[in-house]
Amino acid sequence: MNTRFLDGRSARAHPAEVEIVDGVLIIRADGAEHAWALKGVKVDQHGGEARLSHRGSRDARLVMPLADWKTLSGPHGKAIARRGGRRETALVLSLAAMGLGITAFVFWGVPALSGPLARATPVGFEQRMGENFENQMGVLFQRCEGQEGQYLLEDLGRRIAARADTPFDVRVRAVHAPMINAFALPGGPILVTDDLIREAETPDELSAVIAHEVSHIEKRHVMQAVWRSLGIGLLLDAVVGGGSGAGQQAVILAGQATDLRYGREAESEADQRGQSLLHALGLSSKGMAPFFARLDRSEGVDEAAEFMATHPDSRRRAAAARSRERAGAPALTATEWAAVKAACGTRSDGPIDRLERRFGVGDRPPRPNQGDQMGQD
Amino acid sequence: MTDETLGGPPADDDHKPAPDVAPSPVSEHSETTGEALVFESTLKPSSFLGLSLKNGLLNIITLTLYRFWGKTEVRRRVWQGIRLNGDAFEYTGRGMELFIGFLLALLVLGLPFLLVVFGAQFLGPGYALAVVLPLYLFIFWLWGFGVFTAFRYLASRTTWRGIRFRLQGSAMGYGFYYIGAVLLSGITLGWYWPTAERSLAERLWGELRFGDRRVRFSMGKAQKVGVYGPFALGWLLTLLPYLLLFTVVAMIAAMNAPMMSMVETVPVPPPPAPVPPVPEVAVMMISYLIALILAPLVMLVWAPYQAAMMRSIAAGVSIDGASFTLDVKAIPLWWMTVSNLAVMLFTLGFLTPWVQARTARWLIQRLKSTGTAQIDATGQTGTGPKTGEGLADAFGFSLI
Repeated sequence: MNTRFLDGRSARAHPAEVEIVDGVLIIRADGAEHAWALKGVKVDQHGGEARLSHRGSRDARLVMPLADWKTLSGPHGKAIARRGGRRETALVLSLAAMGLGITAFVFWGVPALSGPLARATPVGFEQRMGENFENQMGVLFQRCEGQEGQYLLEDLGRRIAARADTPFDVRVRAVHAPMINAFALPGGPILVTDDLIREAETPDELSAVIAHEVSHIEKRHVMQAVWRSLGIGLLLDAVVGGGSGAGQQAVILAGQATDLRYGREAESEADQRGQSLLHALGLSSKGMAPFFARLDRSEGVDEAAEFMATHPDSRRRAAAARSRERAGAPALTATEWAAVKAACGTRSDGPIDRLERRFGVGDRPPRPNQGDQMGQD
Repeated sequence: MTDETLGGPPADDDHKPAPDVAPSPVSEHSETTGEALVFESTLKPSSFLGLSLKNGLLNIITLTLYRFWGKTEVRRRVWQGIRLNGDAFEYTGRGMELFIGFLLALLVLGLPFLLVVFGAQFLGPGYALAVVLPLYLFIFWLWGFGVFTAFRYLASRTTWRGIRFRLQGSAMGYGFYYIGAVLLSGITLGWYWPTAERSLAERLWGELRFGDRRVRFSMGKAQKVGVYGPFALGWLLTLLPYLLLFTVVAMIAAMNAPMMSMVETVPVPPPPAPVPPVPEVAVMMISYLIALILAPLVMLVWAPYQAAMMRSIAAGVSIDGASFTLDVKAIPLWWMTVSNLAVMLFTLGFLTPWVQARTARWLIQRLKSTGTAQIDATGQTGTGPKTGEGLADAFGFSLI
């Protein structure tokens, strides 16, 4: 193997003679002389060959046996290799800094921006979005049949919402769903599951849940969560470029954790505001604490686990609610309460349900993917 | 000189004398003189294990932003491990180019796309469909466009003996052809696809240039390698399980018909829930398991077709008097693909560079050429695109 010069103009290789004079590589080939300052020289080593290129002429290459290059370059060769190493370190450091910056923005910037963004979202937008959500949820969860109970629930929601500072038309309705939960959707709809109604022992407990949901709507927590999930999701998707490697998955998981963390703050705020709304109506706010406490105790029951996932810190929240609670009128009379309890039929847990729950299967609906806060509470 | 001026009538290209090159001794037989093309691979996949580890770790500490540079380094090393007549290919692309290409794709396409999809949430359901549907059609076009631009970028960043490759032709046109190909294939239950795939290959390889030398694609030669036989095999074997399932279901229904009418008179316990929900994790695990079992089978069924298509496309390509054969057989191809996928799966993508080196070596070992090409007389022309294959990257695919 000999030293060959490829001039970058034709694919013909020219035999070449090379020497280094004062930090300049002199190449003589095909009757011409080329001078490459070593500062701009890059060396690729592969298969026993050194392949040299120079900043000044993009396409030209000098190819020589690696041993020849080592003899020729001596200390220069090492300097060139070091330069390459330094460049890579600088690249990795700046990319890592960019990664850190993006992480910081995802963890703190996006959640901080989501509140103002939610408040700036036009009411009409949120309502239309809520309608779309509601249609999607309607496919999953069917409305309970008891008309009177539904009417009473809706009326209770309206009474509480009248005390709240919200432009939205709050519409509470009971739905069949295999979990103990209630959802505030964007723009006013509130869904309460049949299992939650069954689990509630007093009208106070149910009214506390509804007041909590109304507060979510008033504070536009759902919209805030939509913006937050969207911001985090968009940003992280943008960074990882939709790839599916392990690194990408880790990044996306971290994003979801952030989303959950900020969801908890909204829950506590809604507890507090919900109790105030009940007080303003002269209703008892003593239902909230026992309800949380009971769900906290019924660990191991899958439905409670579902509730816990969207309502973390039940014990702490129960204690906080107890410290704020005030006595007042019950939200519903005994007859009304009976009608509400009957709204979703008398179906108690069937044997299949119980078995499924026992083995922890068959009971979780697909988690809504519009940000977990669609199940805000 | 720009790409456009060189684009001209294609026939000009290979009769244009390269001015700055000494004439070959027997210039009147320009088609017959020249070199035979001998490909050789010096790739050692095991030497990519360290690179795999390095890329993986750097990806993690840079929030995956290093991936553009990592990919570039892998390509650089794969390219230099492939030799033609003793000289290595060289990949001259830079990570920064891919990064900028990705950012451009994000800005020009990703952002508007997401805004439209998100905006549709605020619209009525009818409107949402009207907006989202054309968008999905657009994605097909974009896919074709992305494949073409990625190929163009790769060509422009590939050099051999200092001469660059380049891809002429129109990425937009390729995108439109791609939509047509997909739609026609859909209408014909897939039977148009082999024809479409060869035409798509013609639109890529026929537009490729090595410097001022033209790479040609002859559909006639490509068609000498039959692909419809293996396609029919794949198609029928794919259909078979569906037919079986359908028959079994129909038979069960027929047998149970009297029983079912009886059952209806008996009070049935109410259905447990509107949607029979199964925990997502279990559903996911089960579907992954099924995919894990089914994927190799599906690949096996289609491997003869894939191998035939690769042979067919290689047979269609020529440069001057040199034509190519790619000796890919169904079972080795299947094993290569399945083992690659398994490695990727179990290392969570960490060993991607190793897989790529291994695949490249495997292909180059099977690539042969007959006839000669006047590669010595090739002159440099044109420049390539300035930024990388952003679109292709945004879609998560890449030729290598």
